[in-house]
Amino acid sequence: MVKSTLLNLRHITKTYPGVVALDRVSFDLLAGEVHALCGENGAGKSTLMNVLSGNQQPDRGEIILGGEAVVLPNQKKAQEAGIGIVYQEKSLVSELSVADNVFAGIQPCNTWGFIDRQALFAKTQDLLERLRLTTIHPQQLVSTLSPGKQQMVEIAKALAQEPNILILDEPTAALSDDDTSVVFDIVRDLKAKGVGIIYISHRMHEIFKIGDRVTVLKDGKFQGLHNTQDTNVDEIIRLMVGRDLQDLNYQDHFQSDVVLQVKDLDGEGFSDISFSLHRGEILGLAGLVGAGRTELARAIFGIDKNKTGTIKINDESVRIRHPQDAIQFGLGYLPEHRKEQGLFLDMSVVENVVSTNLDVGDSGKIWMDTAEMRRVADHFVEKLDIRTPSINQKVVYLSGGNQQKIVLGKWLLRKPDILIVDEPTHGIDVGAKSEIYRLFNELSASGTAILMISSELTELIGLCDRILVMSHGELMASIDRPDFSEEEIIQYSSGLKRMP
Amino acid sequence: MKINSNIWQDRVVTLSATILVLVVVSSIIWQGQFANLDNLSLVLLNLSIDAIVAVGMMVLLISGSFDLSVGSVVAFAGGLAAYLMYYWGVFVPVAILVSLAACLLIGLVNGALVAYVGINPLIQTLAMMGIVRGLALMVSGSGIQNLPDGFNALGQSQFMGFQSPVWYMLIVVVIFSFLVRRTIFFRRYYYIGGNEKAALLSGIRVKKMKVYSFMLASALAGLAGIILSARLGAAMPTAGQGMELRVITAVILGGASLLGGQGKIMGALLGTIFMGLVANIMILARISGYWQQIILGIILIVAVATDIIMKRRGTSPR
Repeated sequence: MVKSTLLNLRHITKTYPGVVALDRVSFDLLAGEVHALCGENGAGKSTLMNVLSGNQQPDRGEIILGGEAVVLPNQKKAQEAGIGIVYQEKSLVSELSVADNVFAGIQPCNTWGFIDRQALFAKTQDLLERLRLTTIHPQQLVSTLSPGKQQMVEIAKALAQEPNILILDEPTAALSDDDTSVVFDIVRDLKAKGVGIIYISHRMHEIFKIGDRVTVLKDGKFQGLHNTQDTNVDEIIRLMVGRDLQDLNYQDHFQSDVVLQVKDLDGEGFSDISFSLHRGEILGLAGLVGAGRTELARAIFGIDKNKTGTIKINDESVRIRHPQDAIQFGLGYLPEHRKEQGLFLDMSVVENVVSTNLDVGDSGKIWMDTAEMRRVADHFVEKLDIRTPSINQKVVYLSGGNQQKIVLGKWLLRKPDILIVDEPTHGIDVGAKSEIYRLFNELSASGTAILMISSELTELIGLCDRILVMSHGELMASIDRPDFSEEEIIQYSSGLKRMP
Repeated sequence: MKINSNIWQDRVVTLSATILVLVVVSSIIWQGQFANLDNLSLVLLNLSIDAIVAVGMMVLLISGSFDLSVGSVVAFAGGLAAYLMYYWGVFVPVAILVSLAACLLIGLVNGALVAYVGINPLIQTLAMMGIVRGLALMVSGSGIQNLPDGFNALGQSQFMGFQSPVWYMLIVVVIFSFLVRRTIFFRRYYYIGGNEKAALLSGIRVKKMKVYSFMLASALAGLAGIILSARLGAAMPTAGQGMELRVITAVILGGASLLGGQGKIMGALLGTIFMGLVANIMILARISGYWQQIILGIILIVAVATDIIMKRRGTSPR
């Protein structure tokens, strides 16, 4: 049977200042197929989907839907054209019912213009039954559902408009194996009904389990298109990786003494984690979104308190129940989201830099030493090369790279023995990135141990002495520098392999 | 860019200037009535209680919170002290200390439930406003008069042309203005109000600090209530009614933001002075009491709207 073509993207190009996000990428989708889209972070998958869902306009190229070239100026137009999308981020209102979420904005109305509750619930029930999600009740509040069930509701919501093209962006990132198989069942049903599905995932086995074809992108460029039957995991990974390593200059500052030892640590989102961190070492922590890396870091730093296991610092067992405890023990934590968790945006550079130094329990200081604060801030602005017109500038006006350097400066001021950094170069430009790498090398030279969580394999491979890989909350592997390979790390992080 | 380049972005400066203009214009219009020491002394006396409460409220707003129960605490504190002195003959300083301790306890309950249980401050302090008003009625019934002379003297003596509450107000403002500007302890409230998550990750014990701020606000409200009873020579169960809105208005006029992270103690004083002056001018101008409420409401809206519009231009006043 010849399947009809639903969608054709031709030579799509999209540039942002300084980056070519998509470079003449073509992509097509047939009715009743699952077309997987692969690539590392920054390969252009999200941009391509944003173009298709009307959130972004391509600079050049054509979108052909059902044989006709179309322009999708916004999300609503894309929906009307039959494109449904399930985003990685949650889009549900948790204090509303399932039905209200599924039919948000398109609730059935009665003749008076009011929402027809009965019709709404009936339609939702009908849709849920078609998806075989009979354990979800239309009147249930979304907040009472498990994350897995919420993800099903997200999918139901996308299907409420009966799209013939469905985009699933990492739909299983936060799901258990059972829930994942429910999602797969839904995908197979939709396929049978002739819906075309674009499936974005980092998980190789999923792609090979339900994908018919797979397109690989790298650095915004098309790398290859294969039938999943005619290819294998290794070939796909080979196409994804091999990005040029930026000039990172690995430096060996590894010292033999252990500064942090974590043993049998269990907590929300991870279990049975044991590893040790040495003085002067940069230890990478690789894994997919939802692998439990940030949760592990937050537990070690005392933000999340529910954990069992032992943490030893300089060979002494410690209990860390508040970030303040962690700071006293010589830890620092550069959080994943600098604007939400790292910075005081409406405050000045100097106020931000000294923020970790206010609550030093042991110093017993009462009075602010403004002159000293300014001196310290001046010192860091110079040392970290933070580009700001003045140390009185509010940090909200600074660029991402400079903001990140300020968060780093906060911690350098404490001279930590152990610095945990979570996605330290996320969303900052290439120049600022290499400066941050340089600072990490300087820190490890001075004896600081760094635990570096990153989704960019190139930077982990470029900087680290060792790399730990997590998947589904468990430690899969610990790889030493001579054995680093992107292919291996990807296999461990997608749960395909585990080190004995 | 726009850093400290313009002193007119500082609310303390703009508000001082506005107050100066009001004083000059009123002095010209109501020469005899306004610009004499008796009237100005009375204006200050009338706003002194509000100003003491406003200092605690300012600290709360800096940390991104607020307290609606302060008006009730004012009545309760005066009532409890009066009750102890009048019915039990408790020694004046002891009665005052017991009353202040009770207020600290109210603040502790507010703070603990907001910080550790996670009740919204609006709900928590609204409920506490009702509870404490009830307590105030219990201790002072229909009012307690004939308080000890030693107690009344605390609120009724004169010094350099001003009655003592004005001096208490100045002492509280000067002390807290200094502490908030200079101590690490109070500086943390700016960080908590600026970004609570980042404050936690920077090692600030956010929950504890929140409890302390509610205790401070209640204690200052209690102090204000005791001073008010001494000044009137009586404890009234209706004292401080509607005060919470007046004080929050004054504090926001004085440069605080409901989002937190902004404000100065001097701003709380100036905001209260501004409100007191407007009230005085409206009396001199024979504007009815109903209009006074309407005009104060409009002033608050205008002040906040200006603030938002200035922010949108990226030149937020500090």
